[in-house]
Amino acid sequence: MMLDRLFAPTPDGQSRPALHGAARIGIGGPVGSGKTALIEQLLPMLQARGISVAVITNDLVTAEDAERLRRSGIIDPARVLAVEAGACPHTVIREDPTLNLLAADELDERFPDVELVIIESGGDNLASTFSLDLVDWWIFVIDVAGGGDIPRKRGPGVLQCDLLVVNKIDLAPHVGVDLAQMLAEAEAVRDGRPIIGTNCRSGFHIDAVAEAIARAVLVER
Amino acid sequence: MTGHLHHHHHHAEHAHSHDGGAGHAITVTTIIGSRIDPMLSRWLHDIQHHGQVETISLETRDMARRRLRAITDHGTECMIALPRTECLYDGAVLLMEDRRAIVVRVSQENWLRLRPVTAADALSLGYAAGNLHWRVRFTGGDLEIALEEPADTYLARIADLIERGRVVVVTPKARAA
Ligand SMILES: Nc1nc2c(ncn2[C@@H]2O[C@H](COP(=O)(O)OP(=O)(O)OP(=O)(O)O)[C@@H](O)[C@H]2O)c(=O)[nH]1
Ligand SMILES: [Mg+2]
Repeated sequence: MMLDRLFAPTPDGQSRPALHGAARIGIGGPVGSGKTALIEQLLPMLQARGISVAVITNDLVTAEDAERLRRSGIIDPARVLAVEAGACPHTVIREDPTLNLLAADELDERFPDVELVIIESGGDNLASTFSLDLVDWWIFVIDVAGGGDIPRKRGPGVLQCDLLVVNKIDLAPHVGVDLAQMLAEAEAVRDGRPIIGTNCRSGFHIDAVAEAIARAVLVER
Repeated sequence: MTGHLHHHHHHAEHAHSHDGGAGHAITVTTIIGSRIDPMLSRWLHDIQHHGQVETISLETRDMARRRLRAITDHGTECMIALPRTECLYDGAVLLMEDRRAIVVRVSQENWLRLRPVTAADALSLGYAAGNLHWRVRFTGGDLEIALEEPADTYLARIADLIERGRVVVVTPKARAA
């Protein structure tokens, strides 16, 4: 009958469908927790998986992080855009993400091959969260040196993010933090949602972060 | 009528099944229409008899996403990748084949209902809710908060209002979907 003609079964093994622009993920967290360091570690790992990436940085008044990435040699400098966040870095990722949306649209337009746009938020406090109008999925990065009691403070960033990264685990013995306890407390306040402990200097567990990103927002190849 | 056929054509182009060896992942890049659209509902009804209609249950929070991986109640894995201009909704039809369809459902949502005693208390409560970016709705003189965390997490943030009796917890009530 007519239905059968209309509803031709979807062919298997076809080339991947055309997507409408790249997936967008956010990386937020307190000042100096290692957001840019995480991106520096992720870029080669994502590239090795054949994923084409672009980055948007949000700095307070400069383009420091963008410049750092452009100079790094790990990404085409044209694929790094800087948004000046002003004094209130959380505003441009939550209440009014217009500037970041425009930057992401621009990347989609200029680089149609880009599959993933990473948006680094300006360093903020534990209350900063990303609007899901801006990103599809987001990571919050805290670090061991910031204090083992951070998870217990139940900041919205720590609670609501899709993945919590606890960075600088190498520093735990030096700053007197019980890493196992810190991770257990983070797990408890997050009701079992994902947490990964990383060392963004050595690259430890970056593969797990890359896998989580691919799993969450990238079409399987 | 033409509109529906057009949508349908889109589905064939934009919803791809591909065997990744392990499972059967489907990429969805557009919403075909609503489950309650007369023609789609007729088609869904037919599929129900000749095949199966699968459901993806999503929490309200996830409805705001344009990209997400989800699994239907029949175990079919879907990568949803919508244009930025499209938005998921309850009853969105994501896939329509001759013997299979996939429909989105919003799973049950829980609300914490709070009652401020005076107008001044209502101002304090409203201020706190706005400041903390809670998702709220108003029912009569009460404020209801959509629970994305356990109720205690919210109550802890307004502990002073609760302890001083300025705001009363009416009920953590569950609304069936
Ligand atoms: N020991 C150690 N140091 C780290 C690690 N990750 C980052 N750092 C250092 O921490 C400092 C801050 O790292 P960034 O990547 O600039 O942090 P950020 O979060 O991007 O900082 P802002 O953008 O200014 O908020 C740098 O000196 C890094 O070398 C880590 O895993 N272990
Ligand atoms: Mg940085």
